[in-house]
Amino acid sequence: MKRPAHVVMRRILLPLVGVGCVLGFWQATLSWYRLPPIVLPSPWAVATTLAELVRTVAFWRDVGVSLFEFVCGYLIGVVLGVGLGLLMGEWRHFRMAATPVVESLRFVVPFAWIPLTILWFGTSYVGKILLVAYAVFFVMVVSTTRAVAQVEPTLSRVGTMLGMNPWRLAWQVHLRAAAPTLASAARAAAAIGWIAVVAAEYIGASAGLGLMITNAATSLTTSVVIGGMIVIGIVGAGVSAAIGALSRASLDYR
Amino acid sequence: MNVHADIPHPNPVPAGAEMERSSQRSSKEEHRGELIVDRVFHRYIAGGRQTEVLNDVSFRIDPGHVACVVGPSGCGKSTLLGLAAGLLRPSSGALRWDGVPVAIGRNPHLGMAFQQPGLFPWMSVRENVAIGLRTRGQSRRDARRVADEFLDNVGLADFKDAYPNQLSGGMAQRVGIARALALRPRLLLLDEPFAAVDAFTRLRLQQEFKALLRLDRPTVLFVTHDVPEAIALGDVIVVMTQRPAAVQRIIPVSREDRDRASPAYARKLAETLECLGVTSDIQD
Repeated sequence: MKRPAHVVMRRILLPLVGVGCVLGFWQATLSWYRLPPIVLPSPWAVATTLAELVRTVAFWRDVGVSLFEFVCGYLIGVVLGVGLGLLMGEWRHFRMAATPVVESLRFVVPFAWIPLTILWFGTSYVGKILLVAYAVFFVMVVSTTRAVAQVEPTLSRVGTMLGMNPWRLAWQVHLRAAAPTLASAARAAAAIGWIAVVAAEYIGASAGLGLMITNAATSLTTSVVIGGMIVIGIVGAGVSAAIGALSRASLDYR
Repeated sequence: MNVHADIPHPNPVPAGAEMERSSQRSSKEEHRGELIVDRVFHRYIAGGRQTEVLNDVSFRIDPGHVACVVGPSGCGKSTLLGLAAGLLRPSSGALRWDGVPVAIGRNPHLGMAFQQPGLFPWMSVRENVAIGLRTRGQSRRDARRVADEFLDNVGLADFKDAYPNQLSGGMAQRVGIARALALRPRLLLLDEPFAAVDAFTRLRLQQEFKALLRLDRPTVLFVTHDVPEAIALGDVIVVMTQRPAAVQRIIPVSREDRDRASPAYARKLAETLECLGVTSDIQD
């Protein structure tokens, strides 16, 4: 720890400078072009709207639904993705069989599946959960396979020497050694998963932040649209930071 | 004290194999603690090119004896250890431990220290030593106690709770040695275990290591670059040739040879170095 003044400066003031620049640019654009609030409301108007929104139950229900869909899909995607990635990393023949499927499917972005999920699951949670799981799954499969295959070979030899069988070696050594790589992949996957949830809700949902925004757009309450977008950003950043903190706490051997 | 140094080809293969098949148990008793390297060839294919690493290597280590393998860099010494550990399969020939061919996979009698220490970075030093005892079935408490004991032995009593990245290279290697010894192996394989420590620490570690060997008297295959080290620790010195490596000579070492102040030591040193292509008189 250095002097507190420096810490305050770095941790609080510098981020505020960044946010301030964006707000300034926003307000300047508004004043310069004399835009009506329906096209672009002022930062202050959006802030007031947000303050009202957070006092309503409906808003928190929308946030809750989006987060619920995200968390379910995310967990499914991470578990299945790491599991399959571990198998692919450990077992060469399996990798050779699975690679063409994984490699081609992972470029079919989640959004390409939205029409089908609506057709199959309607506007229910299930479709969104599957979509998030799908998005997260491919990020995790690819990075787990690579991370497991790249584990320092001496560690494998040490494990065998110590009497570990192949399963134990995979689980206790390879997966554990890959953990730091997996943690950063999990963080990247969270961003993609969160984006997928909201995007799916834009197109067809019975609740959620995406639906809140599309509803507001059709009734031309632009400040709610922008407020919703800000909430999406804040929640996403929060989720990413939470996963980062979680992985730091569990990987604290520097 | 030693040694079957003069028998590079122990028992001829067909007769030996016959015997094993007919009565494996009695053969196992007879050869308990003995490591035989029998006409081993090893080659690998990388980038479409075949590389010969070992070319007809044969020698034998008696139970409880220490064989030090010396040879030029990259001559396949580490490969030899990998074969003895059952981490690699020879292209032809056989290695026999306890009279039984070494199989790929786990060997419950084996302890090994690698050239890179290979510590698990997510475990404390103590856990790194204890993990092998745990996988071999000891209770958590026993594993911990034995780990502590062996860490004391290699002078790392104060670093039991440290993590590997907080250790110097030499300390990490000592943890690797403690991990191998804590398993109380009957077969101990060491790949330049003292390479990363300074010259004085190395001499001290050699002495401590010798004392530790007296505990269980394992059969030891010890790879080193350092000829004085080989004389200090070995019952025999196996001198390897350039790659593809064969055994150039097997030099027995006696107790008198280990006295650094004795002419016997100087002669042994000169003899071994000469095998490695170094003449003993340096001229301007």
